[in-house]
Amino acid sequence: MNRTNAKIFCAVLLTAVFFSGTAAAQKITFVPQWTAQAQFAGYYVAEDLGFYKDAGLDVEIVHPSIAQPAMDRVLNGECQATTLQLCQALDVVDSGTPIVNILQTSMNNGMVIASSRGVDPLTQKGARVGIWSVGFGQMAICMSVKEQLNYEWVRFASNVNLFVAGALDATLAMSYNEFYQLLQAGMQIPEKSVYRFCDHGYNVQEDGLYMTREYFNKHKDEAHRFAQASRRGWEWAAEHPEETLDIVMKYVDQAQIATNRTMQRLMLAEVLRLQVDRESGEREFRLRPDMVKLASSLMVENFMLGREIAYEELVEQ
Amino acid sequence: MSLWVVLFAAVIFLAALSFLFVQSRTAVRQEAISHATEILDKTSLRVTGILNRVEVASKMTEWLVNRHIDNPESMLLYSRSMLENNPDFSSCSIAFEPYYFKEYGRYFSAYTRYDADTLRTSQGGSDAYQYFYMDWYLMPKLLDRATWTEPYMELDAASGHQEMVTSYSRPILNSKGDYVGTLNTGLSLNWLSQTISAVKPYPHSYSVMIGKGGTYFVHPDEKKLLKQTIFTPTMEKPDSALDSLGHAMQRGEEGMTELSVDGQHCYVFYKPLGVTGWSMAIVCPESDIFQGFTRLRTTALIIVAVGLLLMLFFFIRIITRELQPLRRLADEAETIASGQFQTQLPDFGRIDEIGQLSQSFGNMQHSLVNYINELKTTTAQKASLESELNVASSIQMSMLPSVFPEREGLDMYASMSPAKEVGGDLYGYLLAENSLYFCVGDVSGKGVPASLFMAQVTRLFRTLAGQHLLPAEICRQLNDALSGEENQTDMFVTLFVGLVDLTTGHLSFCNAGHNPPVIGGGESGGEFLKMLSNFPVGVLPGLEFQGEEVESIKNRPLFIYTDGLNEAENRAHEQFGDDRLLDILRNTRFNSARQVVETLSECIEKHRDGADPNDDLTMMCLRVS
Repeated sequence: MNRTNAKIFCAVLLTAVFFSGTAAAQKITFVPQWTAQAQFAGYYVAEDLGFYKDAGLDVEIVHPSIAQPAMDRVLNGECQATTLQLCQALDVVDSGTPIVNILQTSMNNGMVIASSRGVDPLTQKGARVGIWSVGFGQMAICMSVKEQLNYEWVRFASNVNLFVAGALDATLAMSYNEFYQLLQAGMQIPEKSVYRFCDHGYNVQEDGLYMTREYFNKHKDEAHRFAQASRRGWEWAAEHPEETLDIVMKYVDQAQIATNRTMQRLMLAEVLRLQVDRESGEREFRLRPDMVKLASSLMVENFMLGREIAYEELVEQ
Repeated sequence: MSLWVVLFAAVIFLAALSFLFVQSRTAVRQEAISHATEILDKTSLRVTGILNRVEVASKMTEWLVNRHIDNPESMLLYSRSMLENNPDFSSCSIAFEPYYFKEYGRYFSAYTRYDADTLRTSQGGSDAYQYFYMDWYLMPKLLDRATWTEPYMELDAASGHQEMVTSYSRPILNSKGDYVGTLNTGLSLNWLSQTISAVKPYPHSYSVMIGKGGTYFVHPDEKKLLKQTIFTPTMEKPDSALDSLGHAMQRGEEGMTELSVDGQHCYVFYKPLGVTGWSMAIVCPESDIFQGFTRLRTTALIIVAVGLLLMLFFFIRIITRELQPLRRLADEAETIASGQFQTQLPDFGRIDEIGQLSQSFGNMQHSLVNYINELKTTTAQKASLESELNVASSIQMSMLPSVFPEREGLDMYASMSPAKEVGGDLYGYLLAENSLYFCVGDVSGKGVPASLFMAQVTRLFRTLAGQHLLPAEICRQLNDALSGEENQTDMFVTLFVGLVDLTTGHLSFCNAGHNPPVIGGGESGGEFLKMLSNFPVGVLPGLEFQGEEVESIKNRPLFIYTDGLNEAENRAHEQFGDDRLLDILRNTRFNSARQVVETLSECIEKHRDGADPNDDLTMMCLRVS
């Protein structure tokens, strides 16, 4: 081997090393905001069927715990992505952490108020109403003030037993989760006793996929690929609900969640229903400026935000 | 026959067994209910006993807490004392509202639990465990009364195993009666879980326990444990029976229901566990409860079926064997019936009904053979008699002339048909130059005696006519010859004796009690001959007979007959009659004497219409021209 050939060999070798280095999958730790359930089916599908891998990403899905909530992990850099309801996202931005919505999955609000007294919640002035201790109830608080219902909010870790025992007059519930849990506990809740926020002018989007703006600005390409692969996961889930359920149950069983296939099937169907925009009838996967405006205004009115948060502050600029 | 007997027996058996089965099933069912109820009562009683102890201990501690409600250090002490005094309790929290003890900040919960075998008391609240959002804390606060929480699984750090625990929570009120915190006593429920799991009254039965929300806290299927409620299957597929059971158990009711579990029909016995709001149920597959009963029923049915089949088999055998002699007897009877009277009947050597029947049959055969032999003899005798009668008939018929004179100016014909083989009627004639003697008579009675009497009359007539006597004289002499000592049988004969002068047509006649002949011609075309009435010949000796005369019967046909003609009967016993006779003769054109006799013979045949002749029939017709 002469010197020239040696130089060429070294150049080829270096190039190979360089290329292999850039081809290594980008690691993203994703922590959804709740324990394993069909609410996050699309992400499980994307991971299980290799959509993330196809996108050149090494995504690890880790679920939060009481000691380590999702947003805490995002803030301390332990994870790069999480899911948030729109109201939570506004709250985070207002508290001084710029974040970016890289994929909006929910197109409708799934929160309900279920009365345990068999009456219309709008007639239950001053009633004792359960609300999650970890948030999620912003729209309900706004509605209570606006409709002059003056509910007495009872923060809970879990509402089923309190509801069954009659300790609450009514409770907040997600149509895809707690509401089914109440029914599964044998509660007979007539439709007139269910107040659906989406039907009363509070149709504010919920779950979306978020990253801190700081991380996003540095890893735009990975963020886009992550969002696209996640969307692909949700679209596959919509087309293959029963196979998706198999995947969901795998995650549920690994996490030893006290749920069952029936509940997860109902949850998946409801979550997928909420992903279809009421006006277009399409699975749009986009944040709607009008809903951001509505949520922001209501929260400012009720002193939940220090200022109006604009749509542009949540999306890629 | 056998089949009918067995079918009847089967109906009786099945009716009796059905009644027995229904009664047994009711008894087994009642026994199962009693058994299950007893188990449920015992378990419930045991649970109530233990839970009562927790409630009593909690009340006592609450009293102490209220005495020192402003002293947080005391809370730590009481929390620990609770477990020291009750080693079977698993934990104790005396938790207060946020910032109740300002020096402790937001959280204060005096929490004692076992750490391995040693007690550990600490301050239990933190940002990571915000106890005032927990069920055990909220329940007494919101309900304003003590309550048992739903069981939940807790990881035992020492053993690494999860154990089921529950807790009893009491609200802590300050001196003003305001709620300030919750006293919570934890109790491991592993013993309860094991106790209920062990309840297995039948091989495939199992027990479950559900909480107030229907969650399975005890269930043999671990996939359902804590993950499903009793209502879960009804979420996607309505099941009103399961739904009703779940709600009844939630309401704290006690009872029994039947429903299908995984496609198997089961009896479910349920009862609430004390005041906890939890409910226990024993699920017993019907097949288990009625296993013994089903086995008994199957065995009984098999025994009955086999018994009936055996009965059928033996009945057929016995009846076949018993009927075998009868069958042989029937075959032999057939043989005898076919004419083989000497067939030897089998000897069955039996003295029962079959033997008696066989013997009677033998006697009958013997009698039959004798009878047949007698019949043969009688038949032979009868044949002989018939043969003799035939001869007699031939002889009698030969006495009557079958040939009539063929002479210019005379047309004569006669016939006699006896009602039996031989008859008592007679006719005869004797032609001597221009004088024609003729007679027609009817002897009283029929058959052989009459025929013999008739033969005598015929012979005498011919003898007397040969002496050229007048008809009245012939009758007188006939009477003398046939009556009195000569006539032992008291027989007699009616007789019409005539003498015609063939040249003049002059007719002399004597009628001895005979039917009036019909004489043709005249204004009416024919009429009965009017004549004197004399006695029949042979009635009494010495009688005188008067003769009469008709000037001329030239061209006037004379028809003489016996009462076998006008009194001939048909099937309805209607007589032919004089009028009809006269009518026929008047309306029959005379072609010949024979034609007249044959015409009337046909009319009589027609009148009889197949009926047997009731008397001898004799007709004579003559015409002088």
